[in-house]
Amino acid sequence: MDRRELLKMIALATGSAVIGGEFFLSGCTSGAKTEAGFTPTTISLLDEIGETILPATSTPGAKEAQVGQFMKLYVTECYPQVVQDVFMNGISQLQETCKKKHGKLFMDSSVEERAALLNDLEKESKEYNAAQAKKDMPAYEELKKKNRSDQFIASPQHYYTMIKQLTLLGFFTSKQGATLAMRHVSVPGRYDGALPYKKGDKAYS
Amino acid sequence: MADNTFEAIVVGSGISGGWAAKELTERGLKTLMLERGHDIKHVTDYEQSNKPVWQYPHRGGRTQKMIEEYPVLKRDYPLNERSLHWWVKDSECPYTETKRFDWFRGYHVGGRSLMWGRQTYRWSDIDFGANAKDGIAVDWPIRYKDIEPWYTHVEKFAGIQGTYENLPQLPDSHFLPGMPLNVVEKDVAARVKQHYNNKRTIIIGRTAHVTEPIPGRTPCQYRNMCANGCPFGAYFSTQSSTLPAAVATGNLTLRPFSIVTEIIYDKDTKKAKGVRVLDSETNQTYEFFSKVVFVCASSFNSTWLLMNSATNIWPEGLGSSSGELGHNVMDHHFRCGASGDVDGFEDKYYYGFRPTGFYVPRFRNLPGDEKRNYLRGFGYQGAANRQGWSREVREMSIGADLKDMLAEPGPWRIGATAFGEILPYHDNTISLDKTKQDKWKLPVLAMNVTIRENEKNMRVDMQNDMKEMLEAAGVKNVNTYDNEYFPGMGIHEMGTARMGNDPKTSVLNANNQVWDCQNVFVTDGACMTSASCVNPSLTYMAMTARAANFAVDELKKGNL
Repeated sequence: MDRRELLKMIALATGSAVIGGEFFLSGCTSGAKTEAGFTPTTISLLDEIGETILPATSTPGAKEAQVGQFMKLYVTECYPQVVQDVFMNGISQLQETCKKKHGKLFMDSSVEERAALLNDLEKESKEYNAAQAKKDMPAYEELKKKNRSDQFIASPQHYYTMIKQLTLLGFFTSKQGATLAMRHVSVPGRYDGALPYKKGDKAYS
Repeated sequence: MADNTFEAIVVGSGISGGWAAKELTERGLKTLMLERGHDIKHVTDYEQSNKPVWQYPHRGGRTQKMIEEYPVLKRDYPLNERSLHWWVKDSECPYTETKRFDWFRGYHVGGRSLMWGRQTYRWSDIDFGANAKDGIAVDWPIRYKDIEPWYTHVEKFAGIQGTYENLPQLPDSHFLPGMPLNVVEKDVAARVKQHYNNKRTIIIGRTAHVTEPIPGRTPCQYRNMCANGCPFGAYFSTQSSTLPAAVATGNLTLRPFSIVTEIIYDKDTKKAKGVRVLDSETNQTYEFFSKVVFVCASSFNSTWLLMNSATNIWPEGLGSSSGELGHNVMDHHFRCGASGDVDGFEDKYYYGFRPTGFYVPRFRNLPGDEKRNYLRGFGYQGAANRQGWSREVREMSIGADLKDMLAEPGPWRIGATAFGEILPYHDNTISLDKTKQDKWKLPVLAMNVTIRENEKNMRVDMQNDMKEMLEAAGVKNVNTYDNEYFPGMGIHEMGTARMGNDPKTSVLNANNQVWDCQNVFVTDGACMTSASCVNPSLTYMAMTARAANFAVDELKKGNL
């Protein structure tokens, strides 16, 4: 089996974040409904949320990598319907939460207000996911006992977790992220297993 | 010679078929190689071989549409945006799962030699003697000394990188310079070696990559994009290696889109006359004739072909007189092991992406060892790496610092997955399901395979032993895992036409000849009498080269 896939498998097993992994075995969907939900306004909003998570510095940020456009494609074509619904509803929930906290929509909020909101959502989403996982556990254990853990379908995660995961995935696998935020050498030509490294050196993508 | 008559026919063009074609043509036989799928030309047809991740719309992932269209492939890693075009469409080639069986196939010139994991290990006499020692199934009709020269023969041509270790359970190959372990793997290897007093070792994973130029092949460039096809020809495949050699002889005819539906058996001479072919594009049927037939269609399809042949003589098919045809299915069970965090080494990283990891040769149930509550053993494949951008960062959730941190390599982790031997159980079977047909109206296979107590007991050690080794080496937060294994997932299908000493209990003899029809040779995974715990492809190569040269010698003597 492919080495990278093997490592991914190890990562999955140890609970490291593997983007999209939890959706691999989920059910069916048709994409049309969700695609219509991604208006240019939604995409701009997702770009700005992405930019708050991974802002432009001396290297490009999430907006330049067009993570909003990427989320539209990925949610529409790769997420099962039930997860798509959580994502789409999440966008309105995020705006509601923003209004409650700052009295205005995300796009009208300052950089600091945006950051404060996402920090809140980070906390909320982690607690939510932990509770969902706990709730799912008996069903999972039951299937695992029968050697059928492959039939387990996890409850969807918090919508903010999805936005954040897709921001990271969309950014670090984009040309900007992979070649400018990180380093990319398309043909390394040799292997050095003890390369000297100092803090600040970028990872190879 | 008529244009439908050859001296040899090879069914299949994967690792085994490619070797059969090379050896037979180089020994001067006019050879027809039949491949059921389409052609893939070396380098020029590797459409994705230079494609960076950002050029994939879903960044290499899988869409819901893919999941719907590939109900089997979706069960594991093969369903992804990068290499989907090389895996068989489930809908065109269905099969029956009496019990869940994951069958991942590649129907095209080169077969799975294009997509394989490239891990290459010799068997030892501990493996060839295992059935006899344990008194299960039947004894192998050959020993290490019979195949050793052929391992060397294929290794010199295929190009195997690795390091000389002088281990009795894992004989050294003829090696090109080995790829190095990285700094963390070396450290862990040294600690493990000391802790276990040399009884457990961590070595570089031996693979069919060239690390020095050999004719027509450029050394590995450390992109780790093998699964897309290598434009440098750095890993062994039919395309990079055996096919050009066979073509160069002028003796090879390759016919893609050729599903071999039957071996034509002549009951008067008790030999095969040739094969019947269904053109998968035109649905026309053809007959081709030859003196010998090499069946290298991949384990289960080779047996499917035998089951569909000479049924007027043997209702269960050619080679079925022993009652063993379709029985004794094996694979390697895996998807469990352990992993953990490595402290330190923050001042070290790596350059290049190595297409292999480390390997831990089998250390359980070796001669003279304490016996475990299971027979046979397992090896590990693993790696140490610095974590990437998808890692969990506790300290911060958003912002410039998060971006900078994730753009840098994270802390080191190390982990390994065990690959264990599955015993040959008579009632682990494939059979013809005549109630279901594929796209070409051909009957399909039904799989009825499970793992048993022996494998389940082994899985406990497969997890705990790696945990113990990593902890002994100072690795922190070590966790074991078992992601569950279903038969077939190893993509190491073996058995169903086993070799043996007795025509009453085996399908093939010591030279891979079908006992019931001695000019038909089966040299792919179908021939395996037991499974060992090491990756099987190198053994198929050696077995095929050995049988092909035997066949030519016998033809010259007038014995076939």
